[in-house]
Amino acid sequence: MPEAADPASVTAREAQAFARVTLARHPDRPRALRLIELLFSDWTELHGDRLFADDRAVVGGPARLGNRWVMVIGQEKGTDARTRVIHNFGMPHPEGYRKAKRLMLLAQKFGLPLICLVDTPAAHAGVEAEERGQAWAIADSMLTMFGLKVPTISVIVSEGGSGGALALAVADSVLALENAIYTVAPPETCAAILYRDANQKARAALSLRPEVATARALGVVDELVPEPSPGAHAHPLVVAAALKGALVRHLCDLEAQPRDLLLEARWERYEDPAPGSIPPGSPSA
Amino acid sequence: MTPQSPRKPNHDQPPRKPRLGPRPQPVSSPGTVACSGCQRRFVKSRFDAALRVCPACNHHNRLPALMRVRNILDAESYAPLPTPAGERDPLSFDDGMPYRTRLEHERTSKQVDEVFHAATGTINGIPAAVAAMEFSFFGGSLGEAAGLQFLTVCKAAVQRGLPLVCFCSSGGARMQEGLVSLMQMARCTAAVSLLADASLPYMTILCDPCFGGVSASFAAQADIILAEPHARIGFAGGRVIEQASHGKLPAGFQTAEFILEHGMVDMICERKEIKSVVATLLGALEQEGHARSS
Ligand SMILES: [Zn+2]
Repeated sequence: MPEAADPASVTAREAQAFARVTLARHPDRPRALRLIELLFSDWTELHGDRLFADDRAVVGGPARLGNRWVMVIGQEKGTDARTRVIHNFGMPHPEGYRKAKRLMLLAQKFGLPLICLVDTPAAHAGVEAEERGQAWAIADSMLTMFGLKVPTISVIVSEGGSGGALALAVADSVLALENAIYTVAPPETCAAILYRDANQKARAALSLRPEVATARALGVVDELVPEPSPGAHAHPLVVAAALKGALVRHLCDLEAQPRDLLLEARWERYEDPAPGSIPPGSPSA
Repeated sequence: MTPQSPRKPNHDQPPRKPRLGPRPQPVSSPGTVACSGCQRRFVKSRFDAALRVCPACNHHNRLPALMRVRNILDAESYAPLPTPAGERDPLSFDDGMPYRTRLEHERTSKQVDEVFHAATGTINGIPAAVAAMEFSFFGGSLGEAAGLQFLTVCKAAVQRGLPLVCFCSSGGARMQEGLVSLMQMARCTAAVSLLADASLPYMTILCDPCFGGVSASFAAQADIILAEPHARIGFAGGRVIEQASHGKLPAGFQTAEFILEHGMVDMICERKEIKSVVATLLGALEQEGHARSS
């Protein structure tokens, strides 16, 4: 590739690519609980997976979108030093995914559409998470969500990282805020795997094209919700209003479909979930 | 990787007759292979005949996908199930070597087109579809082509009313395909739900190693899950967890024995027993005749 010959330009492009990651992780971006407050009314949080614990990295419960009751599940990163620890930086343990599954089934039982707010660097990696079957919890959440007999919408709010994000994103409609990222794994992890060096995260970011515009081009994300410059961290109300409009629109479309057609369309979508491609040399940022 | 290495000789197993010769040759010689558990060398043809389970230390050495599939099916019943190998490079990925070049190199050197090998046939007389993952090919990683292969196998199983038995071995996602690789977890989930909708039994056998996007999707979504002795199985890699938790990992962490103890698999099965155990369980699940229409 000709442009790769100039090391200075490569470094600049890598820095630009990683700047997108940094922007998506901006500490002031609205988190799930803040968005729930801005998007919905009568939000009533429900706790626990009924098996082991209440994982605060995942929050959920019924709420009203306009006058329509829906089930909301969100990954919450926390907003300051104290709440970030409480919410484990948005990295769920298995009990978080099992709580999500419980709420999905509750939504199905009573015909509530499901709205998931995705914001996690990855599922928690740790001894306890493995002991309690992190892989099984994620696999089960995906399978449950894929088979759910109510309309489902997921929003990649800021950071959609790995299977930990996809566990809540096997939806009929997938939206994303414009400055969010959606990746197979955090750039640090990708760098560790590809180059055996987590410090090459900028290089990984350039290769992996984490920006949601890529996800849109691949056909994984249906619609990008615009964020006025410099981003949602500076304009949370404007962005929430735009997101609310998009949610109402997508929900109306999905609810207008007969259930069997909805499930058939979902099947067709996930039969080939990322049919698009990014041409070589296309700008990453 | 773990304090109690899966490569340690297994003294729990009763010593078996050393049918492959009492004294393996100490140095490399043509036609011999080394057990990666104890480093002893054996005559390759006999080692293969024992399914690469070491007669000295019982280590279950890695087995090519083709051997796994052929071995569980009754002789003569094996009919390969064509699965497509993809050519796409969705991200135009280039990290020094273009992804397509890397893929071509891998295909040439490993003599395999993609991760899955699949076939239909009978297992002790029970008709079944069987798929196995080739860990030596790109670490068994779940790229777009592998996702399509798994979907193709599930569709074929449903079309023919066959249960599916899948040997899973993978490091997880294929990083070079980025988000497209991640989405294969959803694709494989959809494929598994096809089997469930058709009430067809689905069994997985977790083989060393099984991690990431594979363990967190179709490997864990089976009706019955077996694991080979000492196989390393988990979501995040042990090294990642050790770094993240700054602590010592528990003894036997992420081994088949560890996850059995924590309730995540149905049983650990010696390689030579897998065929009969699978046949018995398929028989139980299919008592009512298969493929009740949904
Ligand atoms: Zn050995």
